[in-house]
Amino acid sequence: MTKVGVYVCHCGLNIAGVVDVEDIANYALTLPSVAVARHYTYMCSEPGQRMIQNDIRAHKLDRIVIATCSPRMHEETFRKAVSEVGLNPYLVEIVNLREQVSWPHNEEPQRATEKAKALVRMGVARVKLLEPLERQSVSVEKNVLVIGGGIAGIQASLDLANAGLKVYLVEKAPSIGGRMAQLDKTFPTLDCSACILTPKMVDVAKHPNITLLTNSEVTKVKGFVGNYEVTILRNPRFVDEAKCVGCELCTQACPVKIPDRFNENLSQTCAISIYSPHAVPKIATINPAYCLKLKTKNKTVCGKCVQACEAKAINFDQEPEAIQLKVGGVILAVGSEVFDASRVLEFGYGRFPNVISNIEFERISDASGPTGGKILNPKSRKPPRSIAFVQCVGSRDKRFHEYCCRVGCMVSLKQTILAREKLGKKVDIYVCYNDLRAFGKGYEEFYRRARDMDINFVAGIPSDIRSTADGSLYFDVFESGTNKLLELHADLVVLANGLVPSDGISKMKELFHVLRSRDGFLLEAHPKLRPLECSTAGIFLAGACQSPKDIPDTVAQASGAAAKVIDLLSSGEIELEPLKAVVDKDLCSGCRICESLCPFVAVEMKKEEKDGKEELKAEVIEVVCQGCGLCSAACPTGAIKIEQYSNKQVLAQVAEAFPAAAHKGGSHR
Amino acid sequence: MSLTDLMSMAKPNLESREKIFARLCGRNFLNCYLCIKCTSGCTALKLLELKPHEIEKLVNLGFVDELASSDIIWTCATCLKCFQRCPQKASPYHVIIALRNLAVEREAKVPEAYMKAVSQILEGGLAEQPQKVANKKMETCDREGLKLPKIRPPKESFQTVFLKALEEKPS
Amino acid sequence: MKLAVFWGCRILTSQYEYEMSVREVLPKFDVELVDLREMLCCGDPVKSINDFAADYLAARILALASLTGVKDLLIPCNRCHFVISEAKRLIENDEKTCGKIAALLREEDLKYDSNMRIWHVIDFLHDHVGLDRIKKAIVVPLKGLRLASHVGCQILRYSDLGRVDDAENPVKLDRLINVLGAESVDYAEKLDCCGAALTYSHVDSALSLAGSKLKALQGLAVDGLVVSCPDCGMMFDSKQKDAAATVGAKLNLPVLYYTQLLGLALNIEQDKLGLHLNQSPADQLLAKIPS
Repeated sequence: MTKVGVYVCHCGLNIAGVVDVEDIANYALTLPSVAVARHYTYMCSEPGQRMIQNDIRAHKLDRIVIATCSPRMHEETFRKAVSEVGLNPYLVEIVNLREQVSWPHNEEPQRATEKAKALVRMGVARVKLLEPLERQSVSVEKNVLVIGGGIAGIQASLDLANAGLKVYLVEKAPSIGGRMAQLDKTFPTLDCSACILTPKMVDVAKHPNITLLTNSEVTKVKGFVGNYEVTILRNPRFVDEAKCVGCELCTQACPVKIPDRFNENLSQTCAISIYSPHAVPKIATINPAYCLKLKTKNKTVCGKCVQACEAKAINFDQEPEAIQLKVGGVILAVGSEVFDASRVLEFGYGRFPNVISNIEFERISDASGPTGGKILNPKSRKPPRSIAFVQCVGSRDKRFHEYCCRVGCMVSLKQTILAREKLGKKVDIYVCYNDLRAFGKGYEEFYRRARDMDINFVAGIPSDIRSTADGSLYFDVFESGTNKLLELHADLVVLANGLVPSDGISKMKELFHVLRSRDGFLLEAHPKLRPLECSTAGIFLAGACQSPKDIPDTVAQASGAAAKVIDLLSSGEIELEPLKAVVDKDLCSGCRICESLCPFVAVEMKKEEKDGKEELKAEVIEVVCQGCGLCSAACPTGAIKIEQYSNKQVLAQVAEAFPAAAHKGGSHR
Repeated sequence: MSLTDLMSMAKPNLESREKIFARLCGRNFLNCYLCIKCTSGCTALKLLELKPHEIEKLVNLGFVDELASSDIIWTCATCLKCFQRCPQKASPYHVIIALRNLAVEREAKVPEAYMKAVSQILEGGLAEQPQKVANKKMETCDREGLKLPKIRPPKESFQTVFLKALEEKPS
Repeated sequence: MKLAVFWGCRILTSQYEYEMSVREVLPKFDVELVDLREMLCCGDPVKSINDFAADYLAARILALASLTGVKDLLIPCNRCHFVISEAKRLIENDEKTCGKIAALLREEDLKYDSNMRIWHVIDFLHDHVGLDRIKKAIVVPLKGLRLASHVGCQILRYSDLGRVDDAENPVKLDRLINVLGAESVDYAEKLDCCGAALTYSHVDSALSLAGSKLKALQGLAVDGLVVSCPDCGMMFDSKQKDAAATVGAKLNLPVLYYTQLLGLALNIEQDKLGLHLNQSPADQLLAKIPS
């Protein structure tokens, strides 16, 4: 004989303020099989939980209904509570009297109470049909794949490696360091970016638990949380990594000049070169699109680098190499890209050489950059007498990207301070802005510092930027503080073009079936409470690929994501929720509808032999299945169903929703 | 709204603002975040002190009545740069046209030339009267002399229907 | 091909040279112009009085155009092109307005036809006729001429409406000039407005705007300015002397309609192109044309 305990929570006044909780509890007692019914202010509290546990022991209750807030809040709490006194945790049914009754119907307390009673009645009917379920454990690989070698990937890798996990850090460029390696100084401390970054880069290279795979990309992913199989393609450098000593004699000998991507094409490098000034690993790489030998596939051509290389490290016969790895978790740290400011045609970027972007200014200001750290006009190569910054280029703009890029204001502030420090009083510096966002720790003080350095803040954005014959620029801007229309002349204009989703993000979506938010960045599982992970189990997020952010937030998120991975993998196994799809093979016709519908790729078709014939049967990969129910709804034979959501169980609830109708048609008790 | 303009002692008039909204067919002046780009590039700013961002904000807050009876709304050169470059697609141009329509509805001051154009259209279909122009030799020329086709005026029925259209107010 | 044409008010009542040059030039590309049954205003000044009435006028013109049986309508005036384009967009997206306008048109047994394709002179020549065909038709290449183009505002903006050329980087008129053998010169003030709309209420300001642009153009040492809208033509050509007086400058810039320039390259008689009617010193430019 089943004995059901019903507990009605007041939830303070959230529920009790609208419905009559005592009435509901009394009503519950009239229902068949209900042995105990109580109401209490906070069921999820310690005394509330103890009340349930005591009743289970005293009355030998074997099914529990808790009428309270959404199961998303405390279902886990109550499952734990009942399992502590020996009752299977999956024999608990949560009835939602808050989000589904008291909150939406707060203006009709009487009708709300009737609805609450109906829901409790439905819950009691269902809980009697629930079967005990066990959580399954599956072992996991204690290895982690980190994709992206910027500061996010670097930080996460170090945290994971220090915790004892084995890390594979994959970076598509020839060196790690990412965007931060391109920066001169960082706000708000004006730390030299390379000085704080390079020690971490070296740590990564030296760490015994980290395998650094640069010039590489992830090409294939199979598997599920705890057990991913990834294929990594190592693109050939055409240089033997074991032999190259980073002396750069090859670069000096190479006759082919190409735009230097690391310097944002402001200078040139050669077809064979070391990627960046502080490259890790410091190994030369040949760009096959430009190298004469590789481009023409002519073995007799050029070869000057081979002649120059004393270490005999150059190898034109290198092929791409595919590596297979097994990892338990993945951190996506693929970063973002810079908005192409030439799309905002009215500002002349791309047409006028003295209109540059924030990142180009950064390379100019960096001592290891194209001008040796001197602030110079790209065209005349003379120091500018006047610099104008224009904010929000391509950001907060319905024509391009609606979101705020988060870093543009701080980057420009930093660059104005650097310009003032390097050029002294001889330069006029203006920032044309809309809102100046200095939100972080030390940021407002940094803004004050800029104002103290006599940097002019113009509250207004220009409509367009025009050029004179000699390449200097001028524009009109209405300054809303003084209400004056000002004509501004600048030798150099710097556009604060923001960050946008990169191609890397599209690739990650394809490989890992992760989702993107409306702005195009990778979607976190919950914007407030779960910002470090995707809704796909085992995939975590760090850095600008989730949303544009600065270095402090990136590092924090990276360490957080690493902690989540450690949490996931440290015990060597993970427990799975049993509320998954299961297939009754006898009913399965092999139609594959479930396989085609599953958004998590959690259904596999397996060949089985029956009576000498080969048949296809669906099989659920339990670790990947999220229990969404799509398959179950679509299955034409009813072969695949979700545990605890069988037709019988659901229809029992439906019958109790309209008992008058049920009586007409015959009850399903 | 609980605002008072202490310079003029005017209060916002949300009904008037609704009238502007009704005329705008979806373009949303509520989105303006005062980047001032429109005014920075406004063709009529230097000579006539037209500040599109100001008009946008005034209407946003509900200070419509004063604008509808002002001279400033008639200074727009309709170059459309403001709408073209606005990052929030809040078109000052369309707000100004709506204010002009409201001014006419309330019989506020309207530059004579517009009313003259309307009466010309009613009379003969065109907003302008055919002119004689001087050629290089200082001779006067007209359409006939230049062998251009005669102007075909609209049918009589046009006048009545056009008048009906002029009576139409947005719902 | 047959091409219905709607001239608007300005061309028909004062900017005769534009009409003459269009009528002369287009038949050279096998175009037969078909005038509408009536000639009346597109609604441009009415927009400021009652936007709906302006949309009605524009819809009426499209209805008249469909009466010709021709699906393509040429609108040589920028302002008319804008008014009619906006009205078209509104009618096709707003059921209520569409219904009201349809009812008014019915009173005259007219029907709005959404299949009308709207053209301006620039995109008709650049996109439909094509640069290659124009090049082949040239008899007198205008080599050595340095010209500035003024496309105007209302056929470039606003992009969302779908306009004749790109709002920030228009190239079609420049290409049309270059294909004739001349050189179209870039300049900072290219997208600045001629000020014509202000002639209704602030004539001095309108002239000041036109005068400032002319002054800047003169500083470029070009042989002439090319326009293709009668309002722009009115400001830069017909009112050049008034503009000069308003900005206190000596202005001597030849201003031609593009179709007049094209006509010269096709070796059409100058008088047929209305070149004797331009108020600006067009002779200066004509003298530079290689014979």
